[in-house]
Amino acid sequence: MSDTKVADIPLYPLRKIEIVVLAEDHLLVQDLLKAAGVGGWTMIRDVAGMGHHGFHQGKTIFNDQSGLVMFLGVGEGKVIADVARGLSRLFESRPGVTFLSDVQVMRSDYFAKANA
Amino acid sequence: MNMHADIALAERMPTRTEVAGLVGLASRTVAPLWPLESAIAVNPLAGFEDMPFARAVQIAAQRFGARRSLPLPLWRAVLRTGRIEERALRDAAIRHLGGSLAAAAHIAPGVTALDLLLARMVQIAPENAPEQVGALPPDAAFIAKWCGAFFDHGAAATPMPHRELGLYRAVLALAGHDPEYRALAGKAGRDLLLQVPRDPLEAIAEGLVEIAGEADELEVLSSLVARLPGWAGHIRWRCEHADAELVAGAPATMADLLALWMLLARAGALCEGHGAAPLRENVADCLAGHFGLELDALARGALARLQAVANIEEDALGAIFMAAAEWTYANDLVPRLQGASRLGRQGVQPDAQLVFCIDVRSEPFRRALEAQGKFETLGYAGFFGLPIALHPFGGTRRSRLLPVLLSPQHDVAETVVEGREAEAGQLAEIQQRNAAGAQIFTAAKLSAGMAFATAEATGPVAALAMMGRTLAPRLATRAQSVLRKRREQAFTPALHGPGRHCGFSLEEKVGYALALFRLTGLGQDTARLVVLAGHGGSAVNNPYAAALDCGACGGHGGGHNARLLAAMLNDPAVREALAEHDVAIPQSTLFLAAEHDTTTDEVRIFDRDLVPESHREDLARLDAGLARAGQQNRVRRAGLLGRSPGELLAGAGDWSEVRPEWGLAGNAGFIVGPRWLSQDIDLDGRAFLHSYDWRADADGTALTTILTAPMVVAQWINCQYLFSTIDNQRYGSGDKVTQNLIGRIGVVQGNGGDLKVGLPRQSLFKDDGTPFHVPQRLLAIVHAPTDRVARVVEANDILGRLFGNGWVQLVVIDPETGRASRWREGEAVPGEGRDQHSLTC
Repeated sequence: MSDTKVADIPLYPLRKIEIVVLAEDHLLVQDLLKAAGVGGWTMIRDVAGMGHHGFHQGKTIFNDQSGLVMFLGVGEGKVIADVARGLSRLFESRPGVTFLSDVQVMRSDYFAKANA
Repeated sequence: MNMHADIALAERMPTRTEVAGLVGLASRTVAPLWPLESAIAVNPLAGFEDMPFARAVQIAAQRFGARRSLPLPLWRAVLRTGRIEERALRDAAIRHLGGSLAAAAHIAPGVTALDLLLARMVQIAPENAPEQVGALPPDAAFIAKWCGAFFDHGAAATPMPHRELGLYRAVLALAGHDPEYRALAGKAGRDLLLQVPRDPLEAIAEGLVEIAGEADELEVLSSLVARLPGWAGHIRWRCEHADAELVAGAPATMADLLALWMLLARAGALCEGHGAAPLRENVADCLAGHFGLELDALARGALARLQAVANIEEDALGAIFMAAAEWTYANDLVPRLQGASRLGRQGVQPDAQLVFCIDVRSEPFRRALEAQGKFETLGYAGFFGLPIALHPFGGTRRSRLLPVLLSPQHDVAETVVEGREAEAGQLAEIQQRNAAGAQIFTAAKLSAGMAFATAEATGPVAALAMMGRTLAPRLATRAQSVLRKRREQAFTPALHGPGRHCGFSLEEKVGYALALFRLTGLGQDTARLVVLAGHGGSAVNNPYAAALDCGACGGHGGGHNARLLAAMLNDPAVREALAEHDVAIPQSTLFLAAEHDTTTDEVRIFDRDLVPESHREDLARLDAGLARAGQQNRVRRAGLLGRSPGELLAGAGDWSEVRPEWGLAGNAGFIVGPRWLSQDIDLDGRAFLHSYDWRADADGTALTTILTAPMVVAQWINCQYLFSTIDNQRYGSGDKVTQNLIGRIGVVQGNGGDLKVGLPRQSLFKDDGTPFHVPQRLLAIVHAPTDRVARVVEANDILGRLFGNGWVQLVVIDPETGRASRWREGEAVPGEGRDQHSLTC
């Protein structure tokens, strides 16, 4: 899609956070997103990839808690910063990575802060 | 506004998300605790698995106020039974002292350091450390009391009000009326009830600012979680594993529990934690006296060495015993498996193949059955790879029939078997009538005005029923058995169903069927009968009945899963698709489902009506073999329980029986390999057996699955038995005699307190108080090329953690070289691992 066409669409600037953690830690991240008031997020299970400790497999067939999961969340800058602050405490003792970036979304009401 | 917190401190107050992260991490201090109806084994120290085993045990012992090992007198009792070889004990002691030179160090003429250590271990009277039993301190008792009221699961006639607000806010609303709270927290506590934030995360944040000071916040929260491991574990189960509708009426998180602790902490109402360990006295004198030595007469070096041995804590001596128990087991088993590996397979085409659960109780039964004829047996996870939840006919709640490592992928409805509609109707009517009767009885029993009248009216009937169960328990068992059999004939889990219980697609069925072949190495040249045998136990009036059922089926019997997979494997469309995956099952093969009752050693084969005439003789032969195997195994098990085989059958229906079977007590090994590897070895019911053919698994996918799922479940079981044995009060549930059920979710000791987290004393110890279960870590033995196993372990974090930190000991028997190698633990001395010598010293 060309920039010209995008310019015709009303877009709203927001912040995006991507978090990759061990599947067994996914509830820790979910609790944190809820505490920050993130209204919704996407979770991608069975993420595989290369890391400090070699190649990480996706999940195995009889264990949902092995492997890695990735969270994608979008929200106001303050909310996402709050999530990142909470993650920094988690990552003191648990493995994981997080990425923050600026994004634009079409329906800003989809990303409104939930009631905490 | 909180009057207790300094406003200037607000800048340092953690945010809600920071607190959420800290609470989440702190909650890992305890393991989830499943309710009794679906009790499954968990490692009470699961949150410490990131640490090496010895360090984890030490830190957890401090946190929970628990012992680190079985007391010395009990280890000595184990030694006397021969389950620890004296040679292995000596080797373990030498290693503890730092090697042969240090062990041979001179103390006095004819006395070495090793002599001193061995004397301490097996001869000198140990210190009499009192068993730490007793009531909870007032702060913990207060929170435990409100947890009991809040989490009653519908058992109370008058439920606690305000439960919909959540645990923390509900207690805040009522604590002001509680004299116990007033006595505990005083005026400051009363003021706090009005001032503290109603949001638990904010309340914790304020509390941390006020009480943590320079202390690590996570440490503070973790210590508080550990004060009531039972209730904290129950909350973890509710948040992480329970169906949402089951817990919706009474929401509770770990933040709720910690906010309550914070309330007490800010009111200055926290009591002292666990007391310090008793001091050792005069051990050096005793040691010297034992050898007729004068301490003053010893040379300085000798005195220092004696003092060093005297200073070894008794828990450390226990750890040496445990190492010796592990070596005794490994030294006996590994060489025999190596020998079998070198000889290779010498099989014949079987008349029937039976796939049992990997459970340690399957092994002696399988061995007995194999001796009865041409029966081949295999081991597979007892849920048969089906991630299902069953909606029982006429039931209101689904049962999760899968390991807790998984979430249900299929909701399966129990439906009426075609042609059995009339019988199903009768049974449904009986079920409804019983449920209604129970409801009326419960309501009358709990009613203030009717309670005594109900007791008067129903007492004689109850007395008759009790007498019947007492005097003729087998009659009661038979009546139950008939009803159960009728139900199993009339209802079946449906492969296809209406509404949301829509069953399985063809692709899914093929996938589950293929998994059986790929993971167990079952070849496509199947026998005329292939029986998938789940298992369950039989017990009445036993809160721990579910613990005797199949752990892989979430603490339920495995029959439903077996019936479903058998139906899939008999489906012509599935067989056609399997053939495209190089699994061409002979047309003559019929799959059947069964359930092995581990208490009575009877095997019920389901859906007999579907067996064609052509297979009736095969089935008759199998029936006869199963009956003989059951009889043989009952004799063996009866000996272990000190009773007759007939008493075993009676015990299954006896309401006063506290030990209907030994369960998984004694578990010690997990063998991954073909059955022919272990077939000629009496494994004594101590090994989980997962069938595996390394030749059919070139990329290691099957091995990965076996080690990351069934072995993990086996490790949980092993650790539950291990820790419940070494400290039955802290990590187990104590004596059954003094237990009481609470809220249909667990047991407490006496009339209240924390939920007990582990196994009862009767599941682990004999009546004379000596341990039946030997607390030792799981030994996993894998029959596969060493490099392949190494690749699998290194690619999976969970395996690196369990093997590297010594929670499970791994030995690989390479089928190509016959060589046995041991996986080196992270803290092991380089060079002592990955070779067989490390096993035999």
